[in-house]
Amino acid sequence: MKIREEKLNDAVICILEGEININNSPDLRKAFDGLIKRNEKKLVVDFSGVSYIDSSGLATLIEMFQRLKKIGGALRFSNMEQKVKNIFEVTKLHKLFEIFDNREAALKDF
Amino acid sequence: MSVKECKAESIISLRNVSKFFQGKTVIDDVNLDIYCGETFVIMGCSGSGKSTLLRLMTGAIRPDKGSVALKGRDIAKISSEELDEVRKTFGMTFQYSALLDSLNVEENIALPLREHTQLAEEIIKIIIKMKLSLVGLRGYEEYYPSQISGGMRKRVGLARAIALDPEIVFYDEPTSGLDPVVGGVIDKLIKDLSVKLMITSVVVTHDMHSVFEIADRISMIHKGKVVEVGTPEDIRNSKNEYIRQFINGSPSGPIDFFREDIGMEDVLDL
Repeated sequence: MKIREEKLNDAVICILEGEININNSPDLRKAFDGLIKRNEKKLVVDFSGVSYIDSSGLATLIEMFQRLKKIGGALRFSNMEQKVKNIFEVTKLHKLFEIFDNREAALKDF
Repeated sequence: MSVKECKAESIISLRNVSKFFQGKTVIDDVNLDIYCGETFVIMGCSGSGKSTLLRLMTGAIRPDKGSVALKGRDIAKISSEELDEVRKTFGMTFQYSALLDSLNVEENIALPLREHTQLAEEIIKIIIKMKLSLVGLRGYEEYYPSQISGGMRKRVGLARAIALDPEIVFYDEPTSGLDPVVGGVIDKLIKDLSVKLMITSVVVTHDMHSVFEIADRISMIHKGKVVEVGTPEDIRNSKNEYIRQFINGSPSGPIDFFREDIGMEDVLDL
């Protein structure tokens, strides 16, 4: 998995690529830790390059959602492939997270 | 979650597998292919060899002849370390749940996560909540096995089996000892996990109601041999006399419950 960050006004876009699994989800958590430390409160996670996410990846996103909520921030997702979207639907997490078709729509929602 | 790409290919493949215990053939030249994403049921009477077959597929025992391949790797030939790696890709539920009584539900499910991963405790706790939610037991984290029913223990066992997002789950008698309603709940759960998460399920059972409820394909085992493999429809309509006797639960037929091969001379050691 590759993680890339872009800053756009007061929001951060976190662009993920590859498979998010038990071996690399701690790296994603570390990247999220960095954002919290820098007091970033608006985060869009761009899934356009993500082919698969496992339970540890989902748990990492849930934790980040909780942390951002605690400090008055917000988390939005964009560009999710259908097969990744299916994982969110099976686990009913699509009801918890805000999922948008593209970055622009996600950014507009803040 | 699993939901990996599932191609129509054999994920478990047994070729000419035989197993002998104390000179007796318990598995006799078995050939089987189990496909990705399907629910495959192995049925047969007590002592037919179905549990031995399950133990061969999980690498708990090795065949004396033939090969057992999981995702193309012959687990009969790999080292113990490699087998440990393969084992991370499948989960297993046991007839008596096999939960540790001294640990609560959360700690039981956490076992494989703490043992096989470097995940932070906060993440492990979230995963446990997700798994408990999938088996309909959200909020039971603090309960001990002795404080919940048999059916709930089976569901906790299932939550533990899927903790590491396995591609295959092996079920050993998942509905035994349960009333029909709770048995139906377990059946639905097995089917749901298989369909929603694309988990390949291998179920050993002699619960006929369960067999037809969950199976995509069924294999009947008798005296260590595969009698027939087919869809539930094939098995229901089978003319095979072993299958007819098993389905109808008839005491008379080719399946001999009173071992005719053992005479009084053998019993009395004359």
